Amino acid sequence: MRNFLQQVGQLFSKKEQISVPFKVLFADFKKSLELNNQILDIIADANNKLSGDYIFDEQYIHTTCSQLTGLVRELIVIINHLTSQKYPELFTSFHHLEEDLEAILNGRILCPVPEFILPYSLVNRDIIDAVGGKNAHIAEMGSQLNLQIPVGFAITTAAFTSFWKENNLEEIVTKTCNDWQQGTLAIEAASATIQQVILQATLPKKLEQDIVNTALQITGKRKDEKACFAVRSSALGEDDVSSFAGQYRSCLGITIEELPNAYKKVVASLYSEEAMEYRLNKDFRPEEIMMAVACQLMIPAKASGVLYTYDPLQPEAETMIISSAWGLGEPIVSGEVPTDHFILQRQSPHKEIEMKIVRKDSSMILQGCGSIDTETVREDMRTEPSLKTQQLQELAGKGLLLEKYFKTPQDVEFAIDQNDQVVFLQSRQLHLQHEKPPRACDLTGLGGKYQILMRGNGAAAMEGIASGPVWILEQDSDLKEFPMGAILVARHASPQLARVIHKAAGFITDIGSTTGHLATVAREFRVPALFNVENATSILTTGQEITMDIECLTIYDGIVKELHYYNLNEESVEDMYEYRLLRRVLKKIEPLNLFDPNGENFTPQGCKTYHDLTRFIHQKAVETIIDISFYHAHQRSTQAGQLLWEFPLDLILIDVGGGIEGVHEKGIQAEQISSVPMQELLKGMSWPGMWDMSPAGVDFSSFMASLTRTAPTRNSTPEDVGRNLAVVSAEYTNINFRLGYHFTVIDAYISDNLLDNHIYFRFSGGVTETTRRSRRIRLLGDILSHYDFFIELHGDIIVARLKRMDKKSMLRRLFLLGLLVAFTRQLDVKMINDSKIHEYFEHIKTIMEESNND
Amino acid sequence: MTELTSILILDDEPIVSKRLKPSLEKKGYEVESFTRSADALQRIQERRFNIVITDLKMEGVDGMHFLTEVKEKFPETEVIVITGFATMATAKESFTKGVFDFLAKPFKLGEIAEVIAKAERKIKES
Repeated sequence: MRNFLQQVGQLFSKKEQISVPFKVLFADFKKSLELNNQILDIIADANNKLSGDYIFDEQYIHTTCSQLTGLVRELIVIINHLTSQKYPELFTSFHHLEEDLEAILNGRILCPVPEFILPYSLVNRDIIDAVGGKNAHIAEMGSQLNLQIPVGFAITTAAFTSFWKENNLEEIVTKTCNDWQQGTLAIEAASATIQQVILQATLPKKLEQDIVNTALQITGKRKDEKACFAVRSSALGEDDVSSFAGQYRSCLGITIEELPNAYKKVVASLYSEEAMEYRLNKDFRPEEIMMAVACQLMIPAKASGVLYTYDPLQPEAETMIISSAWGLGEPIVSGEVPTDHFILQRQSPHKEIEMKIVRKDSSMILQGCGSIDTETVREDMRTEPSLKTQQLQELAGKGLLLEKYFKTPQDVEFAIDQNDQVVFLQSRQLHLQHEKPPRACDLTGLGGKYQILMRGNGAAAMEGIASGPVWILEQDSDLKEFPMGAILVARHASPQLARVIHKAAGFITDIGSTTGHLATVAREFRVPALFNVENATSILTTGQEITMDIECLTIYDGIVKELHYYNLNEESVEDMYEYRLLRRVLKKIEPLNLFDPNGENFTPQGCKTYHDLTRFIHQKAVETIIDISFYHAHQRSTQAGQLLWEFPLDLILIDVGGGIEGVHEKGIQAEQISSVPMQELLKGMSWPGMWDMSPAGVDFSSFMASLTRTAPTRNSTPEDVGRNLAVVSAEYTNINFRLGYHFTVIDAYISDNLLDNHIYFRFSGGVTETTRRSRRIRLLGDILSHYDFFIELHGDIIVARLKRMDKKSMLRRLFLLGLLVAFTRQLDVKMINDSKIHEYFEHIKTIMEESNND
Repeated sequence: MTELTSILILDDEPIVSKRLKPSLEKKGYEVESFTRSADALQRIQERRFNIVITDLKMEGVDGMHFLTEVKEKFPETEVIVITGFATMATAKESFTKGVFDFLAKPFKLGEIAEVIAKAERKIKES
């Protein structure tokens, strides 16, 4: 590597070259690749910090952001240098992101969507900062678990911010809160002042219209018809990390035209005395105080109640508690009326252990629209149980489902509608209040009590404790059959597995990287995941119950109750500001939206994250260097020409030092290539027999012709011609293949000094539907990790890296890449089922073995 | 019953204690944590800890001062330094004060557990 850079440097110093020499531009290109790698590595590292396996502080988040900001800025400068200032708009996108990050680092929460209103069909936990926990949870209960939920919509934090700004509320709120915290104003006065200001403020016109129009739309009503809503708080952090139970206001029986006013009332309750006090005691920052609101069509409930999936006072009893009474839920939740009390076993078939039926004299009833009355209960119903056995059974079953889905004990509110159907109104984490929480040190002797199946193996992709039955992914398993609450055990941490993320209690894989796609998803959904344990698939069996304690890298046989209860009481990492902050900044950094270079959004304006900017620039850098080297004359010092090969591969070779020995008049003969890495790649690409398994069953020459799309001619426009470029030296090769819709980059430096050796491989694109593409990525991932590459997956892009191996091993792996590049061209078309992955994998392995004996 | 190894943690970033304390307790250590060095200083007047884990650079306080105090008062207490501003200079300086080991933030729970286990072995051997 040093030699190569020296060569570039020497050429740069030649004064007689007045036009910018190719080698200088190529040095820019190389620098852009380096920055690209550096940025992607830092992003992957930062995501890894969310695993819970690391201790980091706010300082780390600040340092990481400023590091990335610096690198991305440098990258933008370089691409503009390389392209003679072709992409100045990149700076605009960059500055927006930089500003957003700055704001987030200062504690502000940016609404991830611009809309003021979102119907539940568009709501999920991914946009929890827009809709709040209550909305996110209830919407997913409908969309992911198919539970019956009320028709409704969320009023987002974007609406809240707009309301706040338009009325200049921040100033008065901040001042009043400061006065209270400094002791110059009593809490009663502070709370009253702020709430009054909010109630007197005017809603932005657009917000008012959006609320009313959405309500009309989802109810299918006209403006003069009556429909009746419940308007509830869904403040940030209300349901997901902290329990603000009962501190915010709910407005019931609200007509469509009353909705805007009810919205203000609910928002004002953000500054109720209780809420202000509560926040003070928790790790909440003023900037985090925002409220989204839930508007739900009211259920004219026959009965309502609350389900706890554990007895919060004695979880070891393994029971569930249900309280219910006739009518609407409000007086039940607030404890104003006596309720029936049922205790059921957690374990199916949920035997009833206790049933206390109280006398229920009155109930709250929805009378048409807008009127809610307290009514006397009919004589014969007063001492009747308010829930039927069948309803209790259903509640218990669904309660466990919710618990498995949200991964914590749940506190669930429900209603029984006029057809006796259970409708779920909300579900949030149930906080257990142990009198004597299990002491951590009591856990040290578990090894003697439970059989340890594995200890000390693997790497934590996501911390946590999980227990449940094992489900092993076999060659022919169908992920659709994966049972809720099971622990998925697989050979590879393939991104495919993310499909069951909502159902899995945990993941264990034999092979896999903690910076890969599945690890990222596991952290996003907080599913405990342990990768790289080597032999999990052979030690564990499907159906076997296990408990995994990832922090201790231990897997126990059976359900370890001690760990389970300890875990129920442990504070989640999500309760910590630093984790929330890192998660928020990563939203502006990590997601990749630019997948398709031909896509409409593949523009500087389309870049919504640092990752997008990096991806865009990488693409343009490669395109530019090819344009410059191929379509424009080079200097005499650079040897360049088209590869004359037995196969019509449209490859332009540019030599930057010792990579080519002489150039033929018409081009470069394969024998003239003296670049060792290039030789090995070509050897792989032309390996006999590879083409017998070629997807379309065509002969080699026609297959290779299809690779290049069109016949190469120098007279064609750049768009018509294949764009395959290799820059070579004796020990170095940088190849950019655009084969059909695929794009492959290989960068390799291989010498006798193993410390300098590296291979970088990046593969993207494809024309078939996602499942087949993802099979191809799995195949590549499986093969490359088998041959020791370090793999990263981003959507359908695979990046593989290998460093510091001896020359012989590195060259073997370049040969492998040669095989793969040629072979995977149309592989996604052929990847009709999962068994193909194994089949092709074995085939490639066989070739590797055969060629080794060669 | 043998006495548990006692650990004092001092870091002005609350998240460090919040994460470290339960993790170490789970491994069977007796842990006290502090975010203000004045409180920690007072606590070491009252009792001895087998192991002290401290940050070096804290707002308004000097971790170096704290660890110097600890080593003077209890030479046999092993001190582990954790800091976000890892530089060789500070590392060297802390080593001259008899610090057992030095960890740069961010670090893994497993990494610090290893260092603690090493310190514990050293204490038991002596």
